[in-house]
Amino acid sequence: MPAAKIAPSKTAGSSQSPLLSLWKAYYESTSTRLKTIDAFLVFLMLSGIIQFLYCVLITNFPFNAFLAGFASCVGQFVLAASLRAQVNPANRSEFKDVSPERAFADFALGSIVLHFFVYNFLG
Amino acid sequence: MRFLRTLLFPLVALTSLALARSSTGDTVLVLLEPSLKKENFSIFFGDLEKKGYKLTFRSPKDTTPEIIKDDVAQFAHVVVFAPETKTFAGDITPQTLVSLLSKKTNLLLALSPKQTPLSSLAAEFTLILPPPGTPLISHFPKRDTPATVVPVEPPRAHHIISDGLAPVWFSGVPQALGNSPMLVPLLQAPPQAFASDADSDSGADALVEAAEKSGEGLWAGSSLSLVTGFQALSNARATWVGGIEIFSDEYINKEISKGVKSGNRQFVKDVAAWTFQEANVLRIDTVEHHRVNETLPRETYTINNQVTYTAYISQYDPELDLWEPYSGINDLQLEFTMLDPHIRTSLPPVAGEPGKYSVSFRVPDRHGVFKFNVDYKRKGWSYLSSTTVVPIVPPRHDEYPRFLSAAWPYYAGAFSTSAAFLLFVALWLAGDEREPKKGKGSKAE
Repeated sequence: MPAAKIAPSKTAGSSQSPLLSLWKAYYESTSTRLKTIDAFLVFLMLSGIIQFLYCVLITNFPFNAFLAGFASCVGQFVLAASLRAQVNPANRSEFKDVSPERAFADFALGSIVLHFFVYNFLG
Repeated sequence: MRFLRTLLFPLVALTSLALARSSTGDTVLVLLEPSLKKENFSIFFGDLEKKGYKLTFRSPKDTTPEIIKDDVAQFAHVVVFAPETKTFAGDITPQTLVSLLSKKTNLLLALSPKQTPLSSLAAEFTLILPPPGTPLISHFPKRDTPATVVPVEPPRAHHIISDGLAPVWFSGVPQALGNSPMLVPLLQAPPQAFASDADSDSGADALVEAAEKSGEGLWAGSSLSLVTGFQALSNARATWVGGIEIFSDEYINKEISKGVKSGNRQFVKDVAAWTFQEANVLRIDTVEHHRVNETLPRETYTINNQVTYTAYISQYDPELDLWEPYSGINDLQLEFTMLDPHIRTSLPPVAGEPGKYSVSFRVPDRHGVFKFNVDYKRKGWSYLSSTTVVPIVPPRHDEYPRFLSAAWPYYAGAFSTSAAFLLFVALWLAGDEREPKKGKGSKAE
């Protein structure tokens, strides 16, 4: 079954670009949860880049607001990335004593604390 | 208030009609030379007494009554009619006369072509006198008096001298004016007049020659002053008159042309009224400052506040012996100063409210100890000055704007992160049921 699955993608890969085949492989072999996390990570990354460009090109005037906005993206990104590492079945051997539920609880608690600090620092 | 005032006005006017006098006091000491008879000046002194002044006469060589006793000036005004006295009593020196000015005593001093201590004192007031023995001479217009008795046209539209006066008889010494801004010329010489040795008119040439050689001012023409006022910083006034005859009954009654009396009587009255601080006397009653839309002053103001400053100014009314609100100043200025004036703005009179001058302005974007300064010095008017110190502070920590439009991408970033987090949590928990199966499936693989 897996071999049959790989074979058509390989034949398709030869005719399509490697980027497209990479995307297809990712799309097919990644679970919905991890995809959700990845979408979240991409969103955070774009948001952080936009804020950084705004700071560099236009103004960093309320600098505390920039720090809060940017740090919320970076912090959330780090937390989401560690959640991804812990719930990824491929890493099961590394996180034997951390269940996905425990990892999610850590992530949620860490995020709430992060947002608390961010809103204190924002205004 | 206004009703009360209209009620009180006729009353006050009636009682003070006989007492109308100077704003600073009614005692006058007249130092009269023995050679000059009091009777020769009866009209001038009579007019003063009619106004309510109490005249005390003393010879320059007498020692009583004292001018200054225990460092207190004993008279509100001193008239020095001693143009030819060379030695005065011990308590009358140039120094005491100057100290009288700082004690707010007004002086009326007469000069003569002779060299006396007074003519050297005149130099301290930046009046430059011609050499001794050179009175004012004019050969025009043709008249039957000596060349040293000159009819002088009084100034027109002057804020001290009444308008429409007949020419004034003058004989005495002219003064060239130095560059002191405190001098107020009250009577200027006619353009054809000059100072010269009266006996030999040919001396005029010698004078021109001397003037060219020494570079000193030439004592000729209408730039010469005959009666000069001087207002000290204490607001005390000193008036120098080139000759004593201008006050005499003889000159007051002398006809300027057939049937027309000279203007001397009104002229010397005006000069005395100015010198004794009856006329052109102003004062600042109170000043106020507060934020716009408030009424009480603040202990401190914050940078960029809108602040209103108000001054109330009165003029002395000698007829009623009252201070009346005065709105006639159009060039008053307010300075808001910390070392330098950060703001200098006009302080205009408020229409409909007599005596009130007000302006609103924005406090500079600078903190420190500032002063509201009003400094009004105009020739012939009392000097007005007022200084109020106010500290200007930066905003307190909670007075800054909280959310700025420049920061909206950062706010949007923070809020969208939170929103995305909540969405993510919702998706994660919603997807929880399917997950175990998949997890088992992947485990099975």
